[in-house]
Amino acid sequence: MSDVLDRALDRISRVRGVRGSMIVAADDGIAVAELLMDGVNGKAVAALAGSLARKMGGAAAVTGAGRVRFLQMDAAEGTLLVAAAPRDLVVVALGDPSVNVGLCRIEMMRAAEAAAR
Amino acid sequence: MADDIRALSDVLARDPASLVYADLAEALRRRGDVEQALGVAQRGLSRHPDHADGLDCVGRIHADRGDFAQARDAWAHVLAVAPTHAGALKGMAFALFREGDRFGAETLLEQALAAHPEDEAARRALETVRRSEVGAPAPAAAAAPAPPSPPAAPPVRPEPAPVNAAAERPPVFRGMEGATADILLFDDRGLVVAGGIAGPQGADVSELAAAALAGVSGEAGRTAQYLSLGPWGTIVAEAERANLVLAPVGAGALLLVRRDRSMPVGLTVRIAERAQGAARAWLERQGA
Repeated sequence: MSDVLDRALDRISRVRGVRGSMIVAADDGIAVAELLMDGVNGKAVAALAGSLARKMGGAAAVTGAGRVRFLQMDAAEGTLLVAAAPRDLVVVALGDPSVNVGLCRIEMMRAAEAAAR
Repeated sequence: MADDIRALSDVLARDPASLVYADLAEALRRRGDVEQALGVAQRGLSRHPDHADGLDCVGRIHADRGDFAQARDAWAHVLAVAPTHAGALKGMAFALFREGDRFGAETLLEQALAAHPEDEAARRALETVRRSEVGAPAPAAAAAPAPPSPPAAPPVRPEPAPVNAAAERPPVFRGMEGATADILLFDDRGLVVAGGIAGPQGADVSELAAAALAGVSGEAGRTAQYLSLGPWGTIVAEAERANLVLAPVGAGALLLVRRDRSMPVGLTVRIAERAQGAARAWLERQGA
Protein backbone atom coordinates (compact mmCIF):
# COMPACT_ATOMS: atom_id res chain seq x y z
CA MET A 1 0.00 0.00 0.00
CA SER A 2 2.71 2.44 1.01
CA ASP A 3 4.74 1.84 -2.16
CA VAL A 4 1.67 2.31 -4.31
CA LEU A 5 0.83 5.60 -2.61
CA ASP A 6 4.43 6.77 -2.75
CA ARG A 7 4.53 6.11 -6.48
CA ALA A 8 1.22 7.92 -6.96
CA LEU A 9 2.48 10.93 -5.01
CA ASP A 10 5.71 10.87 -6.98
CA ARG A 11 3.75 11.14 -10.23
CA ILE A 12 1.85 14.16 -8.92
CA SER A 13 5.02 15.83 -7.73
CA ARG A 14 6.59 15.42 -11.19
CA VAL A 15 3.99 17.77 -12.68
CA ARG A 16 5.71 21.07 -13.36
CA GLY A 17 4.99 23.62 -10.64
CA VAL A 18 3.91 21.14 -7.96
CA ARG A 19 5.64 21.79 -4.64
CA GLY A 20 4.32 18.73 -2.88
CA SER A 21 1.58 16.17 -2.64
CA MET A 22 -0.05 14.34 0.22
CA ILE A 23 -2.77 11.88 1.12
CA VAL A 24 -4.72 13.15 4.09
CA ALA A 25 -7.52 11.84 6.31
CA ALA A 26 -10.40 14.21 5.58
CA ASP A 27 -12.00 14.00 9.02
CA ASP A 28 -9.00 15.09 11.08
CA GLY A 29 -6.52 16.51 8.54
CA ILE A 30 -3.77 14.05 9.46
CA ALA A 31 -1.33 13.08 6.69
CA VAL A 32 -1.27 9.42 5.67
CA ALA A 33 1.51 9.84 3.09
CA GLU A 34 3.40 12.85 1.80
CA LEU A 35 6.03 13.95 -0.67
CA LEU A 36 6.93 17.59 -0.14
CA MET A 37 9.63 19.98 -1.24
CA ASP A 38 11.86 21.33 1.50
CA GLY A 39 10.27 24.16 3.39
CA VAL A 40 6.67 23.13 2.79
CA ASN A 41 4.86 22.66 6.10
CA GLY A 42 3.00 19.40 5.61
CA LYS A 43 0.94 19.71 8.78
CA ALA A 44 -0.40 23.12 7.75
CA VAL A 45 -1.19 21.91 4.22
CA ALA A 46 -2.94 18.80 5.54
CA ALA A 47 -4.94 20.73 8.12
CA LEU A 48 -6.11 23.30 5.58
CA ALA A 49 -6.96 20.65 2.99
CA GLY A 50 -8.93 18.60 5.52
CA SER A 51 -10.78 21.64 6.79
CA LEU A 52 -11.64 22.88 3.29
CA ALA A 53 -12.83 19.42 2.30
CA ARG A 54 -15.08 19.22 5.38
CA LYS A 55 -16.50 22.72 5.12
CA MET A 56 -17.05 22.82 1.36
CA GLY A 57 -18.40 19.27 1.64
CA GLY A 58 -20.88 20.49 4.26
CA ALA A 59 -21.97 23.40 2.09
CA ALA A 60 -22.34 21.14 -0.95
CA ALA A 61 -24.42 18.67 1.05
CA VAL A 62 -26.89 21.22 2.40
CA THR A 63 -27.28 22.95 -0.96
CA GLY A 64 -28.00 19.70 -2.78
CA ALA A 65 -24.81 19.89 -4.86
CA GLY A 66 -23.86 16.39 -3.73
CA ARG A 67 -20.50 14.98 -2.81
CA VAL A 68 -17.48 17.15 -3.57
CA ARG A 69 -15.02 15.48 -5.94
CA PHE A 70 -12.42 18.17 -6.47
CA LEU A 71 -11.46 21.42 -4.77
CA GLN A 72 -9.19 24.19 -5.97
CA MET A 73 -8.10 27.12 -3.82
CA ASP A 74 -6.33 29.82 -5.81
CA ALA A 75 -4.12 32.27 -3.97
CA ALA A 76 -1.78 35.00 -5.19
CA GLU A 77 1.34 32.87 -4.78
CA GLY A 78 0.05 29.33 -5.08
CA THR A 79 -2.71 26.84 -5.65
CA LEU A 80 -4.04 24.15 -3.35
CA LEU A 81 -5.79 21.20 -5.03
CA VAL A 82 -7.80 18.56 -3.17
CA ALA A 83 -9.33 15.46 -4.75
CA ALA A 84 -11.74 13.15 -2.94
CA ALA A 85 -10.56 9.58 -2.48
CA PRO A 86 -12.22 6.50 -0.97
CA ARG A 87 -12.02 5.69 2.76
CA ASP A 88 -12.55 9.34 3.74
CA LEU A 89 -9.16 10.28 2.34
CA VAL A 90 -8.26 13.23 0.15
CA VAL A 91 -5.36 13.63 -2.25
CA VAL A 92 -3.73 17.03 -1.89
CA ALA A 93 -1.34 18.92 -4.13
CA LEU A 94 0.27 22.29 -3.49
CA GLY A 95 1.51 24.11 -6.57
CA ASP A 96 2.61 27.38 -8.07
CA PRO A 97 -0.09 29.68 -9.46
CA SER A 98 0.87 28.53 -12.95
CA VAL A 99 0.63 24.80 -12.22
CA ASN A 100 -1.13 22.75 -14.91
CA VAL A 101 -4.29 22.00 -12.95
CA GLY A 102 -5.69 19.61 -15.57
CA LEU A 103 -2.60 17.43 -15.62
CA CYS A 104 -2.27 17.56 -11.87
CA ARG A 105 -5.90 16.57 -11.52
CA ILE A 106 -5.40 13.49 -13.67
CA GLU A 107 -2.52 12.33 -11.52
CA MET A 108 -4.47 13.10 -8.35
CA MET A 109 -7.37 10.98 -9.57
CA ARG A 110 -4.91 8.16 -10.21
CA ALA A 111 -3.62 8.55 -6.69
CA ALA A 112 -7.20 8.43 -5.40
CA GLU A 113 -7.68 5.13 -7.22
CA ALA A 114 -4.43 3.87 -5.73
CA ALA A 115 -5.62 4.83 -2.27
CA ALA A 116 -8.73 2.71 -2.83
CA ARG A 117 -6.71 -0.47 -3.35
CA MET B 1 -30.65 4.71 33.79
CA ALA B 2 -29.23 5.97 37.11
CA ASP B 3 -26.60 3.23 37.00
CA ASP B 4 -25.67 4.21 33.47
CA ILE B 5 -25.28 7.83 34.49
CA ARG B 6 -23.18 6.86 37.48
CA ALA B 7 -20.96 4.61 35.38
CA LEU B 8 -20.52 7.24 32.68
CA SER B 9 -19.78 9.89 35.30
CA ASP B 10 -17.08 7.65 36.78
CA VAL B 11 -15.47 7.15 33.37
CA LEU B 12 -15.50 10.87 32.72
CA ALA B 13 -14.09 11.64 36.17
CA ARG B 14 -11.17 9.29 35.49
CA ASP B 15 -10.59 10.67 32.00
CA PRO B 16 -12.00 14.19 31.55
CA ALA B 17 -10.92 14.15 27.88
CA SER B 18 -13.04 11.07 27.13
CA LEU B 19 -15.68 11.31 24.42
CA VAL B 20 -18.03 9.52 26.78
CA TYR B 21 -19.24 12.98 27.85
CA ALA B 22 -21.67 12.87 24.92
CA ASP B 23 -23.23 9.62 26.20
CA LEU B 24 -23.49 11.06 29.69
CA ALA B 25 -25.11 14.26 28.40
CA GLU B 26 -27.57 12.20 26.35
CA ALA B 27 -28.45 10.02 29.35
CA LEU B 28 -29.05 13.12 31.47
CA ARG B 29 -31.17 14.64 28.70
CA ARG B 30 -33.29 11.53 28.46
CA ARG B 31 -33.80 11.63 32.24
CA GLY B 32 -35.03 15.21 31.86
CA ASP B 33 -32.00 16.93 33.45
CA VAL B 34 -31.53 19.18 30.44
CA GLU B 35 -29.55 21.94 32.17
CA GLN B 36 -27.13 19.44 33.67
CA ALA B 37 -26.93 17.69 30.30
CA LEU B 38 -26.10 20.98 28.60
CA GLY B 39 -23.32 21.70 31.09
CA VAL B 40 -21.76 18.28 30.56
CA ALA B 41 -21.99 18.60 26.78
CA GLN B 42 -20.53 22.10 26.73
CA ARG B 43 -17.60 21.08 28.91
CA GLY B 44 -16.94 18.16 26.58
CA LEU B 45 -17.15 20.35 23.52
CA SER B 46 -14.66 22.78 25.02
CA ARG B 47 -12.13 19.94 24.60
CA HIS B 48 -13.56 18.54 21.37
CA PRO B 49 -15.17 21.50 19.56
CA ASP B 50 -15.93 19.58 16.35
CA HIS B 51 -17.14 16.35 17.96
CA ALA B 52 -20.23 15.57 15.90
CA ASP B 53 -22.02 13.38 18.46
CA GLY B 54 -21.51 15.93 21.21
CA LEU B 55 -22.81 18.75 19.00
CA ASP B 56 -25.76 16.60 17.97
CA CYS B 57 -26.60 16.03 21.62
CA VAL B 58 -26.45 19.80 22.23
CA GLY B 59 -28.90 20.23 19.35
CA ARG B 60 -31.34 17.83 21.00
CA ILE B 61 -30.92 19.49 24.39
CA HIS B 62 -31.73 22.90 22.89
CA ALA B 63 -34.74 21.38 21.10
CA ASP B 64 -35.93 20.00 24.44
CA ARG B 65 -35.59 23.47 25.92
CA GLY B 66 -37.60 24.90 23.02
CA ASP B 67 -34.63 26.90 21.73
CA PHE B 68 -34.76 25.88 18.09
CA ALA B 69 -32.44 28.62 16.87
CA GLN B 70 -29.67 27.21 19.06
CA ALA B 71 -30.62 23.67 18.09
CA ARG B 72 -30.29 24.54 14.42
CA ASP B 73 -26.91 26.16 15.03
CA ALA B 74 -25.67 23.01 16.72
CA TRP B 75 -26.98 20.72 13.98
CA ALA B 76 -25.58 23.01 11.27
CA HIS B 77 -22.19 22.73 12.97
CA VAL B 78 -22.50 18.94 12.93
CA LEU B 79 -23.38 18.92 9.24
CA ALA B 80 -20.42 21.15 8.51
CA VAL B 81 -18.02 18.61 9.99
CA ALA B 82 -20.01 15.44 9.24
CA PRO B 83 -22.41 16.08 6.33
CA THR B 84 -24.09 12.67 6.56
CA HIS B 85 -24.55 12.56 10.35
CA ALA B 86 -27.91 10.86 10.76
CA GLY B 87 -28.82 12.51 14.07
CA ALA B 88 -28.11 16.00 12.80
CA LEU B 89 -29.93 15.47 9.49
CA LYS B 90 -33.00 14.19 11.34
CA GLY B 91 -32.74 16.88 14.00
CA MET B 92 -32.42 19.65 11.44
CA ALA B 93 -35.31 18.16 9.49
CA PHE B 94 -37.39 18.20 12.67
CA ALA B 95 -36.52 21.86 13.27
CA LEU B 96 -37.36 22.82 9.68
CA PHE B 97 -40.62 20.90 9.74
CA ARG B 98 -41.56 22.55 12.99
CA GLU B 99 -41.00 25.92 11.33
CA GLY B 100 -43.28 24.94 8.48
CA ASP B 101 -40.55 24.14 5.97
CA ARG B 102 -41.87 20.77 4.84
CA PHE B 103 -39.72 20.73 1.73
CA GLY B 104 -36.54 21.51 3.58
CA ALA B 105 -37.32 18.75 6.06
CA GLU B 106 -38.03 16.32 3.25
CA THR B 107 -34.73 17.14 1.55
CA LEU B 108 -32.72 16.49 4.70
CA LEU B 109 -34.56 13.26 5.48
CA GLU B 110 -33.89 12.07 1.95
CA GLN B 111 -30.21 12.82 2.51
CA ALA B 112 -30.32 10.92 5.80
CA LEU B 113 -31.86 7.89 4.10
CA ALA B 114 -29.44 8.06 1.19
CA ALA B 115 -26.54 7.91 3.65
CA HIS B 116 -28.21 5.46 6.08
CA PRO B 117 -30.76 3.34 4.17
CA GLU B 118 -31.31 1.18 7.27
CA ASP B 119 -32.49 4.13 9.39
CA GLU B 120 -36.14 3.24 10.03
CA ALA B 121 -36.76 6.39 12.09
CA ALA B 122 -35.70 8.54 9.15
CA ARG B 123 -37.88 6.49 6.81
CA ARG B 124 -40.94 6.88 9.04
CA ALA B 125 -40.27 10.58 9.47
CA LEU B 126 -39.96 11.04 5.71
CA GLU B 127 -43.26 9.24 5.15
CA THR B 128 -44.89 11.44 7.77
CA VAL B 129 -43.51 14.61 6.21
CA ARG B 130 -44.66 13.57 2.75
CA ARG B 131 -48.14 12.77 4.04
CA SER B 132 -48.37 15.97 6.02
CA GLU B 133 -50.90 18.62 5.12
CA VAL B 134 -51.84 21.97 6.59
CA GLY B 135 -52.16 21.65 10.34
CA ALA B 136 -50.78 18.13 10.46
CA PRO B 137 -48.79 17.25 13.56
CA ALA B 138 -45.01 17.39 13.34
CA PRO B 139 -43.22 14.05 13.01
CA ALA B 140 -41.39 14.88 16.19
CA ALA B 141 -40.79 11.49 17.69
CA ALA B 142 -39.63 10.05 14.43
CA ALA B 143 -37.70 12.94 12.96
CA ALA B 144 -35.94 14.27 15.99
CA PRO B 145 -33.63 11.89 17.75
CA ALA B 146 -35.98 11.30 20.65
CA PRO B 147 -37.04 14.74 21.86
CA PRO B 148 -39.30 13.87 24.82
CA SER B 149 -42.18 16.27 24.36
CA PRO B 150 -41.58 18.77 21.59
CA PRO B 151 -43.94 21.68 21.22
CA ALA B 152 -46.77 21.28 18.77
CA ALA B 153 -45.90 22.11 15.22
CA PRO B 154 -47.14 25.35 13.71
CA PRO B 155 -49.36 25.08 10.64
CA VAL B 156 -47.42 23.78 7.70
CA ARG B 157 -47.35 25.75 4.47
CA PRO B 158 -48.63 23.47 1.73
CA GLU B 159 -46.50 24.99 -1.02
CA PRO B 160 -43.89 27.38 0.34
CA ALA B 161 -42.77 29.86 -2.27
CA PRO B 162 -39.23 29.08 -3.32
CA VAL B 163 -36.62 31.06 -1.41
CA ASN B 164 -39.07 33.54 0.12
CA ALA B 165 -36.51 34.60 2.68
CA ALA B 166 -34.06 35.47 -0.08
CA ALA B 167 -36.59 37.72 -1.80
CA GLU B 168 -36.83 39.77 1.39
CA ARG B 169 -33.09 40.36 1.57
CA PRO B 170 -31.35 43.34 -0.08
CA PRO B 171 -31.46 42.97 -3.90
CA VAL B 172 -27.68 43.03 -4.28
CA PHE B 173 -27.59 40.68 -7.26
CA ARG B 174 -30.72 41.90 -9.05
CA GLY B 175 -30.52 41.23 -12.77
CA MET B 176 -28.14 38.31 -12.40
CA GLU B 177 -29.34 34.78 -13.07
CA GLY B 178 -30.01 32.97 -9.81
CA ALA B 179 -29.90 36.25 -7.87
CA THR B 180 -31.96 34.84 -4.99
CA ALA B 181 -31.48 31.09 -5.48
CA ASP B 182 -27.84 30.51 -6.48
CA ILE B 183 -25.85 33.47 -5.14
CA LEU B 184 -25.31 34.08 -1.44
CA LEU B 185 -23.52 36.87 0.41
CA PHE B 186 -22.73 36.09 4.05
CA ASP B 187 -20.24 37.04 6.70
CA ASP B 188 -17.42 34.92 8.07
CA ARG B 189 -19.43 34.10 11.18
CA GLY B 190 -22.00 32.40 8.99
CA LEU B 191 -24.68 35.09 9.01
CA VAL B 192 -26.61 35.62 5.79
CA VAL B 193 -26.42 39.15 4.34
CA ALA B 194 -28.01 39.03 0.87
CA GLY B 195 -29.00 36.75 -1.98
CA GLY B 196 -29.94 33.16 -1.28
CA ILE B 197 -29.37 29.51 -2.04
CA ALA B 198 -32.33 27.25 -2.74
CA GLY B 199 -32.25 23.57 -1.87
CA PRO B 200 -33.23 20.86 -4.34
CA GLN B 201 -36.93 21.25 -3.47
CA GLY B 202 -36.86 25.04 -3.60
CA ALA B 203 -36.60 25.68 0.12
CA ASP B 204 -34.17 28.36 1.27
CA VAL B 205 -31.04 26.70 2.63
CA SER B 206 -28.99 29.91 2.83
CA GLU B 207 -28.51 29.78 6.58
CA LEU B 208 -27.37 26.18 6.46
CA ALA B 209 -24.89 26.91 3.70
CA ALA B 210 -23.56 30.00 5.48
CA ALA B 211 -23.24 28.10 8.75
CA ALA B 212 -21.38 25.29 7.03
CA LEU B 213 -18.82 27.79 5.72
CA ALA B 214 -18.47 29.87 8.89
CA GLY B 215 -14.83 30.50 9.67
CA VAL B 216 -13.49 29.17 6.39
CA SER B 217 -12.28 32.58 5.23
CA GLY B 218 -10.16 33.28 8.29
CA GLU B 219 -8.77 29.78 8.30
CA ALA B 220 -7.90 29.86 4.60
CA GLY B 221 -6.38 33.32 4.94
CA ARG B 222 -4.24 32.47 7.96
CA THR B 223 -2.98 29.19 6.53
CA ALA B 224 -2.38 30.65 3.07
CA GLN B 225 -0.22 33.35 4.62
CA TYR B 226 1.59 30.79 6.76
CA LEU B 227 2.32 28.73 3.64
CA SER B 228 3.45 31.89 1.81
CA LEU B 229 0.61 31.54 -0.69
CA GLY B 230 -0.45 35.17 -0.30
CA PRO B 231 -4.11 36.21 -0.09
CA TRP B 232 -6.56 33.62 -1.40
CA GLY B 233 -8.88 34.51 -4.29
CA THR B 234 -11.36 31.74 -4.94
CA ILE B 235 -12.19 28.25 -3.76
CA VAL B 236 -13.93 26.12 -6.37
CA ALA B 237 -15.67 22.89 -5.37
CA GLU B 238 -16.70 20.50 -8.12
CA ALA B 239 -19.46 18.31 -6.74
CA GLU B 240 -21.68 15.57 -8.16
CA ARG B 241 -24.53 17.82 -9.28
CA ALA B 242 -23.22 21.38 -9.08
CA ASN B 243 -20.09 23.47 -8.86
CA LEU B 244 -19.64 25.94 -6.01
CA VAL B 245 -17.40 29.00 -6.05
CA LEU B 246 -16.49 30.72 -2.79
CA ALA B 247 -14.80 34.13 -2.92
CA PRO B 248 -13.95 36.80 -0.35
CA VAL B 249 -15.69 40.16 -0.63
CA GLY B 250 -13.76 42.70 1.37
CA ALA B 251 -13.08 42.17 5.03
CA GLY B 252 -15.22 39.52 6.66
CA ALA B 253 -17.72 38.89 3.86
CA LEU B 254 -17.93 35.91 1.52
CA LEU B 255 -19.74 35.10 -1.66
CA LEU B 256 -21.01 31.66 -2.63
CA VAL B 257 -22.14 31.00 -6.20
CA ARG B 258 -23.64 27.72 -7.34
CA ARG B 259 -24.09 26.62 -10.92
CA ASP B 260 -25.12 23.36 -12.51
CA ARG B 261 -22.30 20.97 -13.29
CA SER B 262 -23.03 21.30 -17.00
CA MET B 263 -21.67 24.86 -16.91
CA PRO B 264 -17.88 25.04 -17.36
CA VAL B 265 -16.07 25.86 -14.14
CA GLY B 266 -14.33 28.82 -15.76
CA LEU B 267 -17.66 30.39 -16.63
CA THR B 268 -18.95 29.84 -13.10
CA VAL B 269 -15.86 31.63 -11.81
CA ARG B 270 -16.54 34.56 -14.18
CA ILE B 271 -20.11 34.77 -12.86
CA ALA B 272 -18.74 34.74 -9.32
CA GLU B 273 -16.43 37.62 -10.21
CA ARG B 274 -19.38 39.64 -11.50
CA ALA B 275 -21.34 38.89 -8.34
CA GLN B 276 -18.25 39.75 -6.29
CA GLY B 277 -18.16 43.17 -7.97
CA ALA B 278 -21.85 43.76 -7.27
CA ALA B 279 -21.41 42.71 -3.64
CA ARG B 280 -18.37 44.95 -3.17
CA ALA B 281 -20.20 47.95 -4.62
CA TRP B 282 -23.23 47.31 -2.41
CA LEU B 283 -21.11 46.89 0.72
CA GLU B 284 -19.30 50.15 -0.05
CA ARG B 285 -22.65 51.90 -0.38
CA GLN B 286 -23.55 50.56 3.04
CA GLY B 287 -20.34 52.05 4.43
CA ALA B 288 -18.86 48.62 5.16
